[in-house]
Amino acid sequence: MATTTLTPAASTSRNALYEWITTTDHKRIGILYLVNSFLFFFIGGLLALGVRAELAQPGLQFLNDSTYNEFFTMHATFMIFLFIIPILAGFANYVVPLQIGAPDMAFPRINALSLWMLPLAGILLLLGFVTGGTAAAGWTSYAPLTEDHPLAAVGTGQDLWIVAIVLIGTSSILGAINFLVTIFKMRAPGMTLFRMPILVWTVLVTAVLTLMATPVITSALIMLFIDRNYGGSFFDPRSGGDAILYQNIFWFYSHPAVYVMVLPAMGMISEILPVFSRKPLFGYKAFIFATAAIGALGFSVWAHHMFTTGAVYLPFFSIMTFLIAVPTGVKMFNWVFTLWRGQLMLKTPLLFALGFLSMFLIGGINGAISASVPVDFALHDTYWVVSHLHYVLFGGSVFGVMAGLYYWFPKMTGRMMSETVGKAQFVLMFVGFNLTFFPMHELGLAGMPRRIADYSSTAGWNDLNMLATIGGFTIALSMVLLLWNIFVSLRSGAPAGDDPWEGNTLEWATSSPPPPYNFDRLPEIRSERPLFDLRHGRTAEH
Amino acid sequence: MSSSPRSRTTRGAVFALALGAVIIGLALVLVGFRADLLRAGDTFVTGLFPPIAVTTQGAQIRDLYAIVFLIAVAIFVLVEGLIIWTVVRYRRKPGDDTLPPQTHGNNIAEFVWTIVPTLVVIFMFIVSWQTLNAVDRSSNDAQTKIRAVAGQFQWQFDYLGPDGQTILYTELLPLVSQGGGMMVPAGRTVQLSLVSNDVIHAFYVPQFLFKRDVVPGRTNQFDFKVNDADVGQTFRGQCAELCGTGHSIMLFEVKALSPSEFDAWLADKAAKAAATAAPAASGAAAGDTIVITAQGVKYLEATVTAKANTPFHIDFKNQDPGTPHNVVIHKDSPTGAEIFKGAVFNGVAEKIYDVPALTAGTYGFACIVHPTMTGTLTVQ
Repeated sequence: MATTTLTPAASTSRNALYEWITTTDHKRIGILYLVNSFLFFFIGGLLALGVRAELAQPGLQFLNDSTYNEFFTMHATFMIFLFIIPILAGFANYVVPLQIGAPDMAFPRINALSLWMLPLAGILLLLGFVTGGTAAAGWTSYAPLTEDHPLAAVGTGQDLWIVAIVLIGTSSILGAINFLVTIFKMRAPGMTLFRMPILVWTVLVTAVLTLMATPVITSALIMLFIDRNYGGSFFDPRSGGDAILYQNIFWFYSHPAVYVMVLPAMGMISEILPVFSRKPLFGYKAFIFATAAIGALGFSVWAHHMFTTGAVYLPFFSIMTFLIAVPTGVKMFNWVFTLWRGQLMLKTPLLFALGFLSMFLIGGINGAISASVPVDFALHDTYWVVSHLHYVLFGGSVFGVMAGLYYWFPKMTGRMMSETVGKAQFVLMFVGFNLTFFPMHELGLAGMPRRIADYSSTAGWNDLNMLATIGGFTIALSMVLLLWNIFVSLRSGAPAGDDPWEGNTLEWATSSPPPPYNFDRLPEIRSERPLFDLRHGRTAEH
Repeated sequence: MSSSPRSRTTRGAVFALALGAVIIGLALVLVGFRADLLRAGDTFVTGLFPPIAVTTQGAQIRDLYAIVFLIAVAIFVLVEGLIIWTVVRYRRKPGDDTLPPQTHGNNIAEFVWTIVPTLVVIFMFIVSWQTLNAVDRSSNDAQTKIRAVAGQFQWQFDYLGPDGQTILYTELLPLVSQGGGMMVPAGRTVQLSLVSNDVIHAFYVPQFLFKRDVVPGRTNQFDFKVNDADVGQTFRGQCAELCGTGHSIMLFEVKALSPSEFDAWLADKAAKAAATAAPAASGAAAGDTIVITAQGVKYLEATVTAKANTPFHIDFKNQDPGTPHNVVIHKDSPTGAEIFKGAVFNGVAEKIYDVPALTAGTYGFACIVHPTMTGTLTVQ
C-alpha cells in the first residue's frame, strides 16, 4: 500500500541551499559560523571606520553625539558577540571533531540550533537602526545609564540589544555543552586526554568558562530588562537599586569572556607554530596547565575593570590580575621555544601566528601595567585602555583568526589561498594595526577619555587621532585583500591535497574537504602528533 | 646538509648587507630631516609617559608608572627581541629537509619562566600597593572641602564648611573661561567628595593622574594637594565615564590659587551668595515679557521676538530638575559677541531677567552651560 518512490538527488541547485540551511554536519555548520562571523566583522569594521572618520579631526563632521554612541556601541557588540566569540566557535566546530577523530559533534541538531540563533540575534541588533536608534550605552551597557534616563538616548534599541545578547549567550551555552560532551565522549581510540591537540584543550577550557560565566550575564541582562520594562529596581539608585551591582555581575561574566575570546586563538596558533617550525610544541603539558590556570584565575580578576568605582577591595583584585600574567607568560615562552632551533617555513599562517605573538605580547604587558591600581587610576577609561584591549583582541585574537583561516582554508575548500596576496594582507594589517592602536597609548596618557564623540582642538590630541584614523583605513584595505584572496582562491586556487602543510593532527589524515563522515580510516594515535608519527615514525622522537 | 654551513654563511652575509643598507639609509634620512625627526622622536618618548603631575598624589603615581613602565619595556625588549632573533635565525633554508631536533620541553626552563615572572609581578604588586596606600586615602582633617556634583552633562562645585555639610557657595559654571571653574588652594589638602544626580560619571583631571567614578546612590571621596609651584595654573578635566549623548561636552577646569587668594575668593563668593539667598522678585518695570522655557536640555521656544529700543523682560523657566541653565544673548547668532548674560540657576525654577534695550536685528541666544541649547531672538 505504501508506494514509496525514492526521489533521486534531482534539482540540485535548489537543494544545495536547502542542504546548507538544514545541515547538521559539523563542517558545514563550522563554515556557516565563519561566514556569519565575517559578515558581522565587516559590519562592525564599517562602524569602526565611522568612529575613526569622526575622530580624525576635532569637531563633529560625519556623526552627531547620539549616532556616534550608537556606532561605537554596535561596533563592540558585533565584534565581541557576533565575530570573535562565534568565529572561534566556528573554527572549533570544524576542527575539533576532526582532530579527535570523531564523525561529528555529539549533538548535531543542537549544534545547528546554536548556529542559527546567531544571525537571528544579529538581525535583532541591526533592527535598532530602523526602530529609532540602537543601543548606545557602550557594549558594557552600564546601569543606570541604560535605565530610562531621558538624556541617555537609549530606547527600544537597548531592549533589542538585551534580547539579542541573551540569545547569543544561550547559543554559547548550548555550544559549550556540545563541545564538552564531544571532547569527553567521542575521542577516537588511543586519543587520551594528554594526547589531544592543544586546540582541543583550549576549546575544552573555553567551554567550561562559557558554561560557568554565561548564565551570570544572562541574569544581569534579565534584571536590566525587568528594570527597564516592568519597573524593577535592581540597578537604579532612584528606586533603591545598586548601580555597582550591575558592574559586578557584568564583569563576572565579561572578564572570563576575554579568555573565551583569546584561548581558542591561542590554541590555533599552538597548532600552527609546531607545524611550520617542524617541531613539537615546547612544554605540551605545561601549556595545558597554564591554560587551566588562566581559566581558573580568570574568575578572580573581574573587578579590575572597576578599580575607579571606589567600591572594590583593591589589593585582592590587583594581585590576582598580576598573577594571571604568569601562566600567560609561560605560554609565551613555550611558543617562542617551539620556534627555537626549528625549521621555520615563513608561510602566511606562520606570519599571522608570529603577528599574534608579538602583538599579544604588548597586550599582555599592558595588562600587567594596568593591574597596578594607582597607575590604573590614571589610565582607566582613557584611550590607553582602548589600545590595550585591541592589542589583546585584535593583535591577539584577530591575528590568530587570520592564521587559522589561512591554515585551514585548504582543508575546508580543497584549495590553497594565494601566498602573495596573503603576505601583502599581513603586512598591511600589521602596519595598519600598529598605526591605529599604538598612538592610542599616548592619547590615553595625554588624557583623552574613551567614548567621546568630539574633542577640543587645543587638547593636543589632533595628530595622534589623525594617525590612528589613517591606520584604521589601512586595516580596511588589508581586509579588501583578504576578500579578494578568498574570492580568487575559491574559484581558481591551487588544489591543496590532503595535507599541504605536513600537519601533525588528524584533520590532515582525510581528504580536503573531508567526506561527510570525516574518516575512512584513522592512523594510530600514540602521541599528540599522530600524523607526524605516521610520516617520520616514533623513532624521530627522543 | 653538507652544503648548509656554506649557504648559511652566504645568506647571513646577504642579510647583514641588507640590514647595513637599511641602517645607512635611515641615518641619511636622519641627517636630512634631523631637527624634525629628533623632535618627533622626543615627542614619541615623552608621550609614553603621563603628563607631569600637579598634585603630590599624582607625582607618586607618576613615579610608580615609571617603575612599572620600565619593567614592562625590559620584558618587551627581551621577549620581542627573542621572537625576532629566533625567526631570523631559524628560517628554513631552501631545499633543507632535515628534521630539527624534536625537543618536547624542559622542566628546568618551565620552572624558571614560571618563578621569575611570579617574582617580578609580586614586586610590581608590592610597589603598587605602597603607592596605593599613599594616594588613595581621605583624611577628615582636610581644611578645604569641596563637593563635585555631576549631572547630565555638567559639573557644579559646592564649597563646604568645616563640617562637610554646610554649603558656603555653589559654583554652577564648570569652566574658568565662563567665569566659573573649580578653584582650589595650592599647597593645601583638599577633600573632594563626588555626588551624582543621575547616572555614573567620572571626575578626571589628566594632570592629577587620577580619576574617580561619580556614582549615584554613593558618595566617593578622595584627597589631593596641588603643588605650591602650580599657583595660577588651570588644569582641564572632563567626565571619563560614558554618561549619554553629551558625554564629550562634560568638561570642567580646575584652577590653583594661592591659599590667601583662595580664602579671599571664597569669602567674597560666600558673602555674595548669602546676600542673594532670597532672590528678589523683579520690579514691575515697563516693557514686554518674553517667555523662554528650558526642558530636556533644549529651549522649547526656538524663535522669540522683542520690540526694538525698549527694555524688556525674559521670563526664563528652567524645567530640568537639578540641571543649571541660563539665557545668554549674542549678536547675530548664538556664537556671536555676548550682549546680555542671565544668571545661571538649577531647575525646576523660574527667574525674570531684565534685558536692556536692543537695536533692531537678529540675535542668537544660548545656554552657557550647554552650548548645544540655542535659539533665535528677533528684535523689530
